[in-house]
Amino acid sequence: MNRDPSPFRPTSTASTATSPTPKYANLTASTNIRYSLTRKSIYDRHLNRTKTSELSKSAFAFLFGEMVQYAQKKVYGVQDLEKKLNLHGYAVGQRFLELLLWRDGRTAKRETRILGILQFISHQMYRAIFQKQADTLEKVRENEDEYMISDNDPIVNTYISVPKEMSQLNCGAFIAGIIEAVLDGHCFPAKVTAHTAPNDMWPGRTVFLIKFEPEVLEREALRVGS
Amino acid sequence: MASTTRARLGEEVWKSRTDKINAELVTLTYGSVVAQLCKDLDGDYAEVNKQLDKMGYNIGLRLIEDFLAKSNMQQKCANFRDTADVISKVGFKMFLNIIPTIANWSSDNKQFSLLLDENPLADFVELPDDGKAQGELWYSNMLCGVIRGALEMVQMQVDVHFVSDILRGHDTTEMRITLIRYIDDEMPQDDE
Amino acid sequence: MVVYAVLILNKAGGLIYQRDFNPGLQKISANDYLIIAGTFHGVHAITSQISPTNDTGSSGLEVLESEHFVMRCFQTLTGIKFLIFAEPRQPNLDVVVRRVYELYADYVMKNPFYQIEMPIRSEGFDRHLAAYIKPQA
Repeated sequence: MNRDPSPFRPTSTASTATSPTPKYANLTASTNIRYSLTRKSIYDRHLNRTKTSELSKSAFAFLFGEMVQYAQKKVYGVQDLEKKLNLHGYAVGQRFLELLLWRDGRTAKRETRILGILQFISHQMYRAIFQKQADTLEKVRENEDEYMISDNDPIVNTYISVPKEMSQLNCGAFIAGIIEAVLDGHCFPAKVTAHTAPNDMWPGRTVFLIKFEPEVLEREALRVGS
Repeated sequence: MASTTRARLGEEVWKSRTDKINAELVTLTYGSVVAQLCKDLDGDYAEVNKQLDKMGYNIGLRLIEDFLAKSNMQQKCANFRDTADVISKVGFKMFLNIIPTIANWSSDNKQFSLLLDENPLADFVELPDDGKAQGELWYSNMLCGVIRGALEMVQMQVDVHFVSDILRGHDTTEMRITLIRYIDDEMPQDDE
Repeated sequence: MVVYAVLILNKAGGLIYQRDFNPGLQKISANDYLIIAGTFHGVHAITSQISPTNDTGSSGLEVLESEHFVMRCFQTLTGIKFLIFAEPRQPNLDVVVRRVYELYADYVMKNPFYQIEMPIRSEGFDRHLAAYIKPQA
């Protein structure tokens, strides 16, 4: 497993082969990266060092807001903007998944069933990233391949008011991207989209609609049969 | 105001008036933003630095209100040394939970450095091994823009840039902040 | 607590937010509100420069009281003004105005769809402001 969630390193979750982690890369010929001699490199710091670290929600809100504004400059329409946010989330999700599984250590297990992976997402993953569980997990009755995870108050949307002319937009697309990455990483390819579904208590309630690729259902059917 | 008072204020705001979030979410999201810029700008790191600074500036213009509202500061800083204390001990503390060391004052008290012993934005990060990034990219450059934008809103024009970064193989991560002028020529009273 | 209205003025004295919460003030036209904002901005500038006391750092006009209402003005270090109109002798308006500033920092400044200095149209700000000023009984 790749132990390095560096943003520049494409994490390939498809291959489970262990990528060699150069411990003292500055001493090898394969890289030109310079390291300070007096500072610990990322390879020397414990990966759990920041496991329980916290920063201010404001810092995240400002960063996220600027990310939205930057993305908005280069898009045509709401769908395109959501796509960009989804991709940002995807990049974050890939790396978070590596961290989560690595931290589970020997107890980590690869979920092989749809319900298992969805529970992993709405419980463990949600708790690790957002410090709470998702609010509901449901099957879409009409469609065999669709599931819904809901979040009454997604952390990324706390301070965001979407203007009327963009009412279709839900910046929770970012979280949808995280979910998509975690599903992909477990070989459950799916499309995940975020939809605003308010109720009286929760005006910002968001539903993440998960639509699995056909092969996922095929595989699931084989398992049920066996 | 005494710098211990500032430190106490920062501690108090962080402890009791700041909603918290998983630090790794911020770190990884920042990484995604930088990586996207590197892609969008085709590895032109000078442009990436510029864009990060610009994004930071936009943030700074807004963040200052949050800073003032939460810290309840209603008086201007006594002088630029006090400003340095407030940035490090209240500002950095309340948003990033770190207190950079203030160092290397110029003799005219218009320039100082912030040394970031810890940098939550750069956890997990190694710059691309392309023979260029380590010489050209200032990974955390958004911070420069944030400080510039925030201070501009309280009538201070400053220049902020990185002079070293552990990610580049340096022993320190150092930002240099220079006061250019007080806007409107409203000089604060000097208490020294 | 009976707060009649909240107004927010940008740095240039432009009215960027106005909302009534309780009856008590006369209804006036949008244009009149703009005039009030501009006029108050000017008066405030004068009072912060010419002060009967010898204080060089005058904050300008902060409280205006009449038989019918009290107005509390809070100017931030960035130059934005928050004006609260309330019932006469309403205590703790300082606290109210600080809280409104915090809500502004949260639901206006952190909203990427808000453009600085422009009129505030933010559903989240409206909602949280109303919940604070006029809690449902």
